[in-house]
Amino acid sequence: MANASPTRNAVVGILALQGAFAEHQAMLQRSPIKRKVTVVQVRTAEDLAKCDALIIPGGESTTMAILARSLGLLEPLKEFIRTKVVWGTCAGAILLSQSVENAKKGGQELLGGISVKIARNGWGSQVESFEAALEVEGLRDSSTPFTGVFIRAPVILGLNPAPSDPPIEVIARLSPQCLPRSHDQPERQVTDSSDPRTIVALRQGRHLLTTFHPELTDDNRFHEYFVQHCVLPSLQSA
Amino acid sequence: MTTPTGTPSISTPPVPHGVGNVSLSSVAPSRSKELRDGGSSASGTFGVKSGLAQMLKGGVIMDVVSPEQARIAEEAGACAVMALERVPADIRAEGGVARMSDPALIKQIIDAVTIPVMAKVRIGHFVEAQILQAVGVDYIDESEVLTPADEEHHINKHAFKVPFVCGARNLGEALRRISEGAAFIRTKGEAGTGNVVEAVRHTRAVQTAIRQSSVMNEEELYVFAKEIGAPYHLLKETSRLKRLPVVNFAAGGIATPADAALMMQLGCDGVFVGSGIFKSGDPAKRAKAIVQAVTHYNNPKVLAEISGDLGEAMVGLNIEPDMKGGRMANRGW
Repeated sequence: MANASPTRNAVVGILALQGAFAEHQAMLQRSPIKRKVTVVQVRTAEDLAKCDALIIPGGESTTMAILARSLGLLEPLKEFIRTKVVWGTCAGAILLSQSVENAKKGGQELLGGISVKIARNGWGSQVESFEAALEVEGLRDSSTPFTGVFIRAPVILGLNPAPSDPPIEVIARLSPQCLPRSHDQPERQVTDSSDPRTIVALRQGRHLLTTFHPELTDDNRFHEYFVQHCVLPSLQSA
Repeated sequence: MTTPTGTPSISTPPVPHGVGNVSLSSVAPSRSKELRDGGSSASGTFGVKSGLAQMLKGGVIMDVVSPEQARIAEEAGACAVMALERVPADIRAEGGVARMSDPALIKQIIDAVTIPVMAKVRIGHFVEAQILQAVGVDYIDESEVLTPADEEHHINKHAFKVPFVCGARNLGEALRRISEGAAFIRTKGEAGTGNVVEAVRHTRAVQTAIRQSSVMNEEELYVFAKEIGAPYHLLKETSRLKRLPVVNFAAGGIATPADAALMMQLGCDGVFVGSGIFKSGDPAKRAKAIVQAVTHYNNPKVLAEISGDLGEAMVGLNIEPDMKGGRMANRGW
């Protein structure tokens, strides 16, 4: 902790167009991280300009992209991703991806930033939504599993970093037996624990991506991880 | 967390975490299952049921009767659609018994869009609910807009993996539905009227009762629980949170961006728009404006901009004792 104590609070924005932004805010405003961050809800380019880092919350990725376009927020967001720290959860993870499967008809806009291919709603309809215990590398008290809440969650289909991209670091996987059964297509069932579809949290460069919802638990270790390992180091290097 | 017999627990559901939207002191305990051994997972938990409702917050759920309308709603930025055969305004006008929609139509709508799809069942009709769960809808609305199938009992919603949303006129009714397993509450309003007055009445009633409960001591809460017909422990949780323990949307009579923003400023987490969009002059434009109004509900300048030039709004009805189709809000108990 002593190595990361900048003189001012980090300003963490939460994209507040639609979805579970208040839940993220509540998590950041709890100990032990609340004294290190100032939280801003981001609805305009002016809000975004105040931020050192941004969380794109869960919600509907199509709704957020349509609202961002009508506000002229797409370009400022892309520019922000090029230079600052961003964490996408669920719908946010989709927006940060390079390409998407199961996009709405006619395609949908992405922000990009992380070199993965992702499938929206990859496990099926809401009845396939699930909770699973995760072991996450680098989390405080990492011997205690973290409860991953997967709601119509996206699934990572492949990692495609270009040689010039920062390397991808996988920080959490689901064991194949935790994954929903594929009833219609048994041949699509994941059995190999190194299959990219088992990846549920990863980092690339400054950014963090999770396909589940740490904001829907009462455990803020993931938010602490984000502040400690992604946000504060970026302030020091800036 | 599991009962000794292995049957689904029908005790009070745990309260979702972080349902608050402004007052961050109102953080509830986690409702996630205790999964403390690696390699375990669980589906259909109250956590994932109420969690989907939390993902819909700040969004607009639109009634649609065809795949084409569903696509218009998705393009406008709806966060979910409600698949129906007839919108409430037509149910009102045409009369007769209103039932669950044709599962074939619901499937077509599911195939047409990527956002969550909801559908309605009659109050107490648990077989319609079993059918919709098998069809693969993402949420079921046990709705007073359809003709009730049971005039005493609501569905035991704990018995389903698919989550349920239910209507309520006051705090007691909302907490009774949550105790039956609803993971999401909406006001009843008065569907198919384009008249927001009942939705306002119901939201105000819920909020007033929550404020009253928030300053009561234990003895007073026991009495208040009896008076409003609410389970004591849910009322106690509500009084501690100073809000409903699940996500709460407005529904029933919302027809304009201003109506939507009004309901948001009154403390709702999002809105359902039924007949208000596809019974108006320019559905695509109005849908988009209402979506923006819910995001910018606190910004009158933006509201002024988006409220202009939307074409004809749906024809409104006054709420009268002998109105056509009757008072739907009085269905449910």
